[in-house]
Amino acid sequence: MTAIAASQPSRLGRVMKAIGILPVVLLITCVLLALYEPRFLRTSNLINVLRNASFLAIISAGQMLVIIVGGFDISVGAIVALTSVSSALSMAGLTSMGVESAPMIVFLGCLGGLIPALIVGVANGFFVSVMKISPFMVTIGTMTMAAGIAGYVTGGTPIYDMPELFTREIGRGRLMELPYVVYAAVIVLMVLWYMQTQTRLGRYFYAVGGNEKASRLSGLNTRKYIWLAYILSALLAGIVGIFLTARVGSGEATLGSNLMLESISVAVIGGVALKGGVGRIQMVALSAIFLSVLSNGMSLARIDSKYHIIIIGLVIIIAVAAESYRENRRSGHV
Amino acid sequence: MSEQTQTSGLDLRALGPHLLLPLAIVAVIAVFAMLQPAMLSGDNVVNIMKQSSLFFFVACAQLVVIITRGFDLSVGATVSLVSVASSMVMTALIPSLGDGLGIFAGVVIGLLIGAAIGAVNGLLVAYGRINPFVVTLATMSIFTGVATTISGGFPIFNLPDAFTFAFNQMTILLLPIPLIIAGLVAYGLHFALTRTVHGRVLYVLGDSNEVAHVGGRRVKEHLFFAYVTSGVLASIAGLLMTAQTGSGEPNLGTSLVLSSIAAAVIGGASLRGGTGGISAPVYGSLLIVCLSIGMNLQQINGSLQPVVIGAILVFGAALDAYRTKVR
Repeated sequence: MTAIAASQPSRLGRVMKAIGILPVVLLITCVLLALYEPRFLRTSNLINVLRNASFLAIISAGQMLVIIVGGFDISVGAIVALTSVSSALSMAGLTSMGVESAPMIVFLGCLGGLIPALIVGVANGFFVSVMKISPFMVTIGTMTMAAGIAGYVTGGTPIYDMPELFTREIGRGRLMELPYVVYAAVIVLMVLWYMQTQTRLGRYFYAVGGNEKASRLSGLNTRKYIWLAYILSALLAGIVGIFLTARVGSGEATLGSNLMLESISVAVIGGVALKGGVGRIQMVALSAIFLSVLSNGMSLARIDSKYHIIIIGLVIIIAVAAESYRENRRSGHV
Repeated sequence: MSEQTQTSGLDLRALGPHLLLPLAIVAVIAVFAMLQPAMLSGDNVVNIMKQSSLFFFVACAQLVVIITRGFDLSVGATVSLVSVASSMVMTALIPSLGDGLGIFAGVVIGLLIGAAIGAVNGLLVAYGRINPFVVTLATMSIFTGVATTISGGFPIFNLPDAFTFAFNQMTILLLPIPLIIAGLVAYGLHFALTRTVHGRVLYVLGDSNEVAHVGGRRVKEHLFFAYVTSGVLASIAGLLMTAQTGSGEPNLGTSLVLSSIAAAVIGGASLRGGTGGISAPVYGSLLIVCLSIGMNLQQINGSLQPVVIGAILVFGAALDAYRTKVR
């Protein structure tokens, strides 16, 4: 009897420790928002929040992988822009070349968008893993180059002339009330969750980030996994780029300019440790939803958009300070 | 005989890394001077001196924390906020206090804001033990927001002419005033980094946190003051840049964050911490400013310029990686 009573709070504590504070904060934020602003609960608004969260979750998933292997990817925002421009250009080019079938154009256009993303990812991975250059410098370099090329190719004007199938179907189409990008995000999250928890590959990512030297000495090809993380991050950013292009209906060189900061914020709030080796995709997904809810709530409450970045900055500090407090206390007990 | 040639060869090799950057800068200037004789005209030389001295301050701000294996992503936000806030103070006070006192108050407020932002970063990094990247990412976001909020997003005009004169146009012995301030700061910083305990502790901190602890130094204080110094240096950049543009701009510093890190690292500071002297920001800022001014003269498309800078960045970082491998 007393044993049960004694184990009850500790079980609660264990659950709290396992899921962390983020779901609670998310729940409280949602409830407060719903009470304060009933419009928050409208279906159209919720779908809107979900759509933004999906964009964020996909790109942050890539960021998470790179941070887990002990790096950074500053170039994700520029990759979104580059993908947007190059996929729009290839679609417009294919249309003017007289290719008739719209699905063919869309398919090839998406490929045309993902190839530059892949190239940037391969370059990032090469410089970081083989040349051993600081990931920060490498990805700043590739970011400025990718953004510069995207700006040069478009000359600052958006590119239109994309097939209806792309802009209307993929951009605005819905399956069971939900936009396609939500399904894409769910698939990405499921695959990554499976990878992280069930496969050797996932464990190797953690091992490489946790202690690169030890993993190399125990026979892991650490270069391969670091390289792979950057490629995956770039490809996920490319996918976001394609969906965003479809959504806005034009290829733009300025698309995704704030996604770099947002993806890092999402990863950090989701408990991905910048020292590497730590991070779970579920928490990153929750944190993406949290940031989307927060910015949606601020818009609904008519808080000036200039305050948004202040509040998001404060949230980052509070989240990380809470995390480091918890960690310090835990290590203090041991 | 053979011994002598050997030693001179070794000397050259030891000298190589030191000569590489000055040679690169001279090469850049020479190439653009051949393409565009205007590169060496008096006006342009003054322009290069001014621009690179302005840029020098943000590179220095970055250097001080990079030495401790940190980052300061908030330098850009500091520049913006200082620009806006000191302009607002000046325009508000000058009608009642007159030019001299108003400008003085604006400058003091600017420096104080820089110190305050640095103190916030330093508190969170040194005492809160939070990763400097995350801390300064957050403060960057916060203070950029504050800068746009208090200015309403618009530039602040009507700065007194005396301010732009005193902090930008004035020349002493043909040298523009930003260059003179840069020289003084460079000397002071060099002295602090090489001749004082504080400076040496910063290098030790970058090499190994534990060693600094074992060495019995109050590590946290030194780390804290590194961030405060960084904030103050960034605020000097903010004041001088405001004098250059002649108005308080809420997005003055946006593009400076990445390029300031680039300048420090190209100049020879390592992101792994513990290395890099005053020559790093000097060479780094000269190289980047000469390149961008040269490309402007050559009328290279504005969106292609970052591609060149990015390539140089990766190259500089590769050089850094190579250097550490050799060592």
